[in-house]
Amino acid sequence: MKKVLIVDDAAFMRGSLKMILQSNGFEVIGEAENGLEAIKKYKELQPDLVTMDITMPEMDGIEAVKAIKQFDDKAKIVMISAMGQENKVKDAVIAGAKSFIVKPFKQEFVIETLSKI
Amino acid sequence: MSSNREPMLDLYIFETTQQIEKLEQTVLDSEQATDMQVSINEIFRIMHTIKGNSAMMLFNNISELAHSMEDLFDHLRETKCWMHQGFDYIKISDLVLEGIDFIKGELDKINNNQSADGDAASLIGRIRKLLEENKSDNPSSEQQKEEKKRKKPKYYISSQKGVLEDSETTYDALVFFEEGCEMEDIRAFTLVHSVKEIASEVKYHPEDILENSESKEYIIKNGFKLTITSSQSIEEVRELFNRTPFLRSFDIEKAGMKKKEQRRIILDDNELEDKAPEQADEYIKQSSDAKSNEGFEVKEDVSKIEAVKTAEAEVNVSRSAPSVGQAVSSAMISVNVSKLDQLLDLVGELVISEAMVTRNPDLAGLQLDSFYKSARQLRKITNELQDIAMSIRMVSLAPTFSKMNRLVRDMSKKIGKQVNLELVGQDTEVDKNIIENIGDPLMHLIRNAIDHGIETMEERLQAGKSPTGSITLEARNSGGDVWIEVKDDGRGLSREKIYNKAFEHGLTAKRLEELSDREIFSFIFLPGFSTKEKVTEFSGRGVGMDVVQKNIEKVRGTIQVESTLGKGTTIAIKIPLTLSIIDGMTIKVGESRYTIPITSIKESLRISNEQVVKDLSGNEMIILRGESLPIIRLHKLYSVNTLIEDLQEGIIIVVESENKTVCLFVDELIGEQQVVVKTLPNYVKNVRGVAGCTILGDGGISLILNIQGLMNTQSA
Repeated sequence: MKKVLIVDDAAFMRGSLKMILQSNGFEVIGEAENGLEAIKKYKELQPDLVTMDITMPEMDGIEAVKAIKQFDDKAKIVMISAMGQENKVKDAVIAGAKSFIVKPFKQEFVIETLSKI
Repeated sequence: MSSNREPMLDLYIFETTQQIEKLEQTVLDSEQATDMQVSINEIFRIMHTIKGNSAMMLFNNISELAHSMEDLFDHLRETKCWMHQGFDYIKISDLVLEGIDFIKGELDKINNNQSADGDAASLIGRIRKLLEENKSDNPSSEQQKEEKKRKKPKYYISSQKGVLEDSETTYDALVFFEEGCEMEDIRAFTLVHSVKEIASEVKYHPEDILENSESKEYIIKNGFKLTITSSQSIEEVRELFNRTPFLRSFDIEKAGMKKKEQRRIILDDNELEDKAPEQADEYIKQSSDAKSNEGFEVKEDVSKIEAVKTAEAEVNVSRSAPSVGQAVSSAMISVNVSKLDQLLDLVGELVISEAMVTRNPDLAGLQLDSFYKSARQLRKITNELQDIAMSIRMVSLAPTFSKMNRLVRDMSKKIGKQVNLELVGQDTEVDKNIIENIGDPLMHLIRNAIDHGIETMEERLQAGKSPTGSITLEARNSGGDVWIEVKDDGRGLSREKIYNKAFEHGLTAKRLEELSDREIFSFIFLPGFSTKEKVTEFSGRGVGMDVVQKNIEKVRGTIQVESTLGKGTTIAIKIPLTLSIIDGMTIKVGESRYTIPITSIKESLRISNEQVVKDLSGNEMIILRGESLPIIRLHKLYSVNTLIEDLQEGIIIVVESENKTVCLFVDELIGEQQVVVKTLPNYVKNVRGVAGCTILGDGGISLILNIQGLMNTQSA
């Protein structure tokens, strides 16, 4: 079972993703509510996959991707983005994110993305 | 997904409500702040979150509203136009507050299982319009933005090795993305980015995927073409495409030609025309013919890409501003309030059971040393448990207090008075029940203070006061009570006016001189009392103060008014910290038992008949240390049959509330014990002087007396 770390400042989003992932054969091993926490949790938990929100307090998702990539070149990170954040997504991809999901997301899209990468 | 939604709804409502409250505070703060960038970032972020969450829950009206505000604040933070002189931020904050109210309303509906069907279209329209106005007001900044965009570094995706190896093959690929996956242009970019990892050279069409917003439509319609030069086999390339999410279909085939020696570092669009390989030429022509004046196809060293990355990183660092009041609470869990209520109820029952066991009548007269030792241990643990159970329910007053900022802002703007609200001690914690009951009364009091208390600016200047009125909302702990004070420096209460009004309404028969300030001011809490002739939107309908008092009494609180004419008014509310368990003295009248809160007992004594005097209307009083105190015979008040009617045979308990003292005449004292306050059932509500009831150790019922209420029955 693939281990996933969910990063989002909105508890609601974390909950939604968790529910989708858990009912589709993923194991959610951790949650973080900002970039700094995400880096800490990544190092601690070594997840197979990370879902990463972009706009977060303390440290945003792009910075977190950079830091995680620096720590682990193989890290598989999927950005969770909203419409209108094209530039940020692009930055995230440059920083090393593998793919992205656009909010509001459909279950199929989440599962497809996380299964493929 | 739909089956997943329901359980998420609670979390959605909870989180959005929190966000909205924080947002409201941030907006109010931002009006005061000199550097608004922090607040603007915060507002932007919250709007962004609400937009995303609401869209997930399909509350489209909320989501769209949040989106429009997000755009507005994105504009503000990017252009920093709030720094310009004459920038009208109030206009914006008004709209945002209106939006907050809308979302609050919708949340209430959702909470009550109604559909969130509010129409935000006109509000969204106004926000969009304001955004447009702002944009046109700041053409310069827009231009800058445009320029910035134009100057944006281009992204070069190309070979690490300049020389094409013999083993390398060039593939052509045409890719279509899945419908509805969104941001097809960025997806294309992502694809290129991952292909780059196995390719020495990647070219693609349309090239301007990042700069031209039309490329998105083009990709949706015509697909995205790539030309990949790689040492990998076609199967391996296919595998990579297979692992790419959201590809509806893709064709990969070997391109006709193999190439050698292709070292090119092309920095400029013009050079590109000459030097790019034929295939690329073709693409470029297509694109430049089609639309792009910025189309490019450039190869660069990896080092360049790195440089771009670093530049981007710097931009991002400067952009991520510190957040306002971020609370990280990983050690916290949220619990349903009804469970806390249950817990407290159970602890209450436990306290009663403990009393039932240790004070069991069967034990009377027995020598039970080791039993009492264990009983003491039980009591100690019960007490600790009780403390913990109550402390769990303690909530800070801060959110309730902060709500008043908004009220003061809106009101003072509307009625044209300048009012400054100061909050003191808002970190004081009280029981959750108290919080629920105190919000409305406080709002009433503050409304009253602004409307009736604080004078207009002219009046204030004439009276030699600062033109800005000040209201202080203060909370503090003292003993087992929490005091909440609303203090204003307005015109104060007029004894005469209140007395006249009270007299007119037949609320008192006494003369003005006979009444103390406190007695006169207490008239304002009587139903239907209002001296304000003019009814405003906010107050003055004469419903209010009596409702305030009722609400406060619900949490066993009391209100005192102090006022100096011309100087201001202070309304002090005293509420016991916890509601449900009190230390009480249980007493007996006839066969009935009553419990008096220990905190209100001054002393108890036996008296002789010589100390008793009667006034003209036959009211009994005793003279105690030179003071004459009225006697309330409980057996008379509650029509209880008792054998002890002679004052000499019973016990006098001197009780005090709000600096008034009376004597209660009862048969005998039973003893001091903790009791759990239970509310009276509805059909016996509103018994004068009774706050609730409790179950005693022997299973009997005792009525808990409300001393303040008793005094009111006396004076009426």
